[in-house]
Amino acid sequence: MITSGTQGPRLAIADCAPRREDPALRAACGTISQVLRADLRFEGLFQFVPDSLLRAIPPLNPESPNMEDWKSIGAGVLVVTRVDGTAAELGVDLRVYFVENGQVMLAKRYAGPARNPRVFAHQASDDIVLLTQNRGVARTKIAFSSDRDATKERRAKEIYIMDYDGFNPRRVTVNNSLNILPNWTPDATGLAYVSYRQGRPLVFLSRIYAGTNTPNLTGEKESSQAFAPSFSPDGSRIAWASNRSGNMEVWVANADGSGAHAVTQSAASDTAPTWSPTGREIAFTSNRGGTPQIYVMDAEGLNVRRLSTVGNYNDAPSWNPNKQFLEVAYTSRLEGQFQIAIVDIASGQVRQITENRGSCEYPTWAPSGRHLAFSCQRGATWQIHVADREGRIVQPLQAGPGSNVQPDWSN
Amino acid sequence: MHARRLNLLAAVVLAVFALACGGGKRPSALTQPPPPPPPGTGSTYGGPRPQPVDAGPDVVPLDGEGVAASDFEESRADGEGGPLADVLFGYDQANLSDEGRALVERHAVWLQARREAKIIIEGHCDERGTVEYNLALGELRARAVRDLLVSLGVDGARLNVVSYGKERPLDGGSGEASWARNRRAHFVVRR
Repeated sequence: MITSGTQGPRLAIADCAPRREDPALRAACGTISQVLRADLRFEGLFQFVPDSLLRAIPPLNPESPNMEDWKSIGAGVLVVTRVDGTAAELGVDLRVYFVENGQVMLAKRYAGPARNPRVFAHQASDDIVLLTQNRGVARTKIAFSSDRDATKERRAKEIYIMDYDGFNPRRVTVNNSLNILPNWTPDATGLAYVSYRQGRPLVFLSRIYAGTNTPNLTGEKESSQAFAPSFSPDGSRIAWASNRSGNMEVWVANADGSGAHAVTQSAASDTAPTWSPTGREIAFTSNRGGTPQIYVMDAEGLNVRRLSTVGNYNDAPSWNPNKQFLEVAYTSRLEGQFQIAIVDIASGQVRQITENRGSCEYPTWAPSGRHLAFSCQRGATWQIHVADREGRIVQPLQAGPGSNVQPDWSN
Repeated sequence: MHARRLNLLAAVVLAVFALACGGGKRPSALTQPPPPPPPGTGSTYGGPRPQPVDAGPDVVPLDGEGVAASDFEESRADGEGGPLADVLFGYDQANLSDEGRALVERHAVWLQARREAKIIIEGHCDERGTVEYNLALGELRARAVRDLLVSLGVDGARLNVVSYGKERPLDGGSGEASWARNRRAHFVVRR
């Protein structure tokens, strides 16, 4: 089976039909069909009529699809797209039919610039997923750090973003220093990250579409360092790790850096904070027990308890943003290599997401909570991979040259 | 009659949609009929009002950020074999070995003879750990060296600590020899 979902309605995604014969429209249509199928497959919510069967029935009449044809190949829901427009602007019609009675479940028309037809498919995918009362992730982006623009003299790492499927990589920082640990603002217009451009690690906030930049967001004092910024789900607060008290602790401040205060106080190193979806709790890494382990506390720092129970090296917690799944993904050392694991908070049960593909680390959740991304060693470089939360599907993204690490998935 | 049954079926399919997705949402939302078909008989396909779609604004690279000043400029008075040679650490260790302690004591003598020199102590790790824990470990290594220098009489105001974790290894190779060179405190003389 080429389907990923094991239940749910069986979708037939008809080949996109141009409204008039035109090579540019036909090319755009080809992209839209391909990307829409990939987007909906990725979501893992549907079954699909195999592509081979789509051509076993008479050609689609896009004006008035013959439901008997689609019924005969087992389709429960039919997705029809049509494209018209000019070299500069595309119009895309989406219709979703309930095959049993031919009723239209969704009818949309999209209009926009023709230069990137993929965005039409992403929008259509998200609208179709919305029919299931879930949120789709086709229009989300992944930020990451990469050494692709490094030189022998300047071994720089810069921040980049790309579409959730690895397409359209864009460079965000241009300072030839080390720029690491990006974290999206919840409105997905900004990135906090750690930059060494002033000679020591500090948190910067870039509004990446406006081109503005706030250095030292967390207000570090002379000689103190800041790592691992993480915005609360409502965007009102930021957590990070700082050694300004003389020891590495987790700190919390308002999103503009005001009101900073330490929320851990231990002789050990506390770092890597991640917020619960309610914003009421924070998971973090601490070696207070002798080895790095994942702990949970209230956002005020009270009620600290250990979350990871398996293994002697666990780090990089990432809390599932979907309240329905009470779980934290993290990096765990197993037999000398690092793997992605998920711990169910209520039961303490741990499941391993990766194996047999070298080391993987630094998980980040899609906003749906149904997928995660992380970085895995592939020969001499690290590459970003995505997986569903069961670990059934793990695949690399073609993010571009260099080592691509520390992914952070946008809303 | 027949049509009503099909409508029911449509509602059931929507419910299956939602359940299959683990939506677990309010049932009332599942029994809504599908939106009415667009006006006309199908020839006016583009019934609904067009919804604008585009990739959004493009990223504005922060060209004005400028190149980092001292980040990559290293003094000659450091590194392997120099007067401020790297201090090496054991795997996952931030404690100084006897050799490391002896080396730091020699560095203290050198620093006391050059009281104008300000030093950045960089903490580095090998590639075999996670990003964030290695940043914490690098901080501990650099701080262990700083604390010993201060206890030997070097003014702490001359000593800044920066952790690089595993982000900038001296030796890009893999294997114990490379890892051992990368687990280090490295000294940079500030100009």
